[in-house]
Amino acid sequence: MQFVEINPTNTYLSGEQLIKHRHLEIEAPSGGLKRTQNEGSAAELEEITAALANLRAQLSVPRIERLGGRALATWDKEQQAAEILRKDGKFESFGYSVQGKQYLEYYEALFLLELGRLQLEYHGVTVSVEQAYVLLLGELESEKYSNYLVYSTMSRAGYIVVRHKRHQPTAEAVTRSDCIWALLDLKIGNIPIAGNIRASPLYAPVEKSMEDMKQLIVWPNMEDNENSCEPIDFKFDTRKRKSNTASKGDPGSKKACLSTGKSLVDLSKTEATFSRFERVFNKFDIVQLKISDYPYDDDLTLPSLNISFDLHLHNEGFKKRTPKTPSFNVMILPPDALFPTHSEIAQCQRQQRHTAPLLVVSVSESKQIQAFLYYIS
Amino acid sequence: MQFTFQCKKKRCSFRNSNATPLPEQGERYHGVFTGLSVEISEPTQAKSLHDSGCYGKGSKSRGGPASGDEDETLLLGLEESCFLAFYLKVLDIQNLSGTSLGWEEFLKAAKDLNDRFVENLACYLYLKSKNWVIKSGIKFGGDFLIYKQSPQHFHASFLVIVQTPADFDYYQPKNLKGVQRVAETSDKDVLLLTVVQPKEDDSNLATPEALKDISVTETIVRRFNYSSFVQSKQK
Repeated sequence: MQFVEINPTNTYLSGEQLIKHRHLEIEAPSGGLKRTQNEGSAAELEEITAALANLRAQLSVPRIERLGGRALATWDKEQQAAEILRKDGKFESFGYSVQGKQYLEYYEALFLLELGRLQLEYHGVTVSVEQAYVLLLGELESEKYSNYLVYSTMSRAGYIVVRHKRHQPTAEAVTRSDCIWALLDLKIGNIPIAGNIRASPLYAPVEKSMEDMKQLIVWPNMEDNENSCEPIDFKFDTRKRKSNTASKGDPGSKKACLSTGKSLVDLSKTEATFSRFERVFNKFDIVQLKISDYPYDDDLTLPSLNISFDLHLHNEGFKKRTPKTPSFNVMILPPDALFPTHSEIAQCQRQQRHTAPLLVVSVSESKQIQAFLYYIS
Repeated sequence: MQFTFQCKKKRCSFRNSNATPLPEQGERYHGVFTGLSVEISEPTQAKSLHDSGCYGKGSKSRGGPASGDEDETLLLGLEESCFLAFYLKVLDIQNLSGTSLGWEEFLKAAKDLNDRFVENLACYLYLKSKNWVIKSGIKFGGDFLIYKQSPQHFHASFLVIVQTPADFDYYQPKNLKGVQRVAETSDKDVLLLTVVQPKEDDSNLATPEALKDISVTETIVRRFNYSSFVQSKQK
């Protein structure tokens, strides 16, 4: 009887080795000023070699895979997504289903794969991490890489990241009261008016009659007693500058990215110094804030303003089937793209119902990401 | 996600309680347009103008004229001198040869120095009517710095950048991020004011009041720390 010695291709680590491996840190050499130009000196060459060696050391740390606890998926070329064959663990915020089959988006598949929670197969063969990058992100440069970068950073930071969903208005007929509620929502809650309501033939007459009523309520009292009509002002005012100065509101406190039609930089006008000179101030108050009067077109989003993801918080009871209003909408800005302007943001905001604050995430050339919040008048 | 701006108080011992935001109506100041700025050489006038609204800068001081030298003058910027002369009507501007400058002549001279003068002036008026004290923003790389009450009592709340709708310089990531970082280190926000003119051609601003056709939009872009936000929500 002869024994054949079998050498497993994979090696197994002991518990101690695993812990040691887990806390392995390769520090980049630091200190001194950053170099801004090539000098070609010996010191520079030494630094470059050291940096490259460090990078190599970081990249060649052996990857440890778990054999158990992995979900299984196979690449579906038609869907350009990974079809889930076997689930393992919680899949609450991952995947979508088409015709009874469940799929992972490319960024979800890559994220799970990098975490060691997914085994991806391509025609029955397990793909390596490197192959998965090519398979899932494509060989050519595309926005997929930035999307993945933002997806994985935000997920690791602790958000639930899902593909952005536009609010779908219901197909029911628009009634007169819908128009009134939508207008009230706009004036009080700054919620933009949905396209189907604006398109309704009832909308214009309702808006007109509400304006007329507002005039009736606001103007007769306006001059003789400003204080008594203040609460009314605050609710109805968006257009008239005159009532704006009377409303106390809460100066300098505005919701992110929601166009309020009001200035963000109003100082308190109740101060003694201001009231003493109020007449003079009013005299040169001739350059006004632009109240949005851009053309309303709800059918097109601007090509430059594509919202990619919605962010939800973990402790707010996220459900994939019935997502609530997200905490943020995420727009990804490639390195060479311009930041959105006031009118682009205002238009973007008008085109969705239930706007969450828009987070503009800029991906720099060095693939670092930075988030920005917009506040607009 | 409410927006509130900073009004950081300075630590200072003195309080000038009778400071006013604007000079009293009926005052008459005399300034000379030197080709760069408007100079007020008479010391009492210079002091009084600086005390009522913090206009100008002492030629030998960081802020108001404080050196005590006889020959220190008050230098007024183009926008503020235009505002004092043609909107408040408390300042006479003469040229070096002693003749008074009217609106059109001054506007022409100012536009020669700065082709964005009309846009800057519109923003100056817009902010001034909200009772901000407006100073040059050159030391932070913007157009204006705006202060509550006075630069002696408060740190500037905003670094203002004046834009036209056709101008995308500050929407480039590196420029916006750059100016943002500079402002952020001193607790300011960057305020982008976009000046919208009904006509492209601003050559026919016949009177100071013609600026009423101009409107502005405000945009504030702030860096957002997404990881500390989510951590604060998890507690």
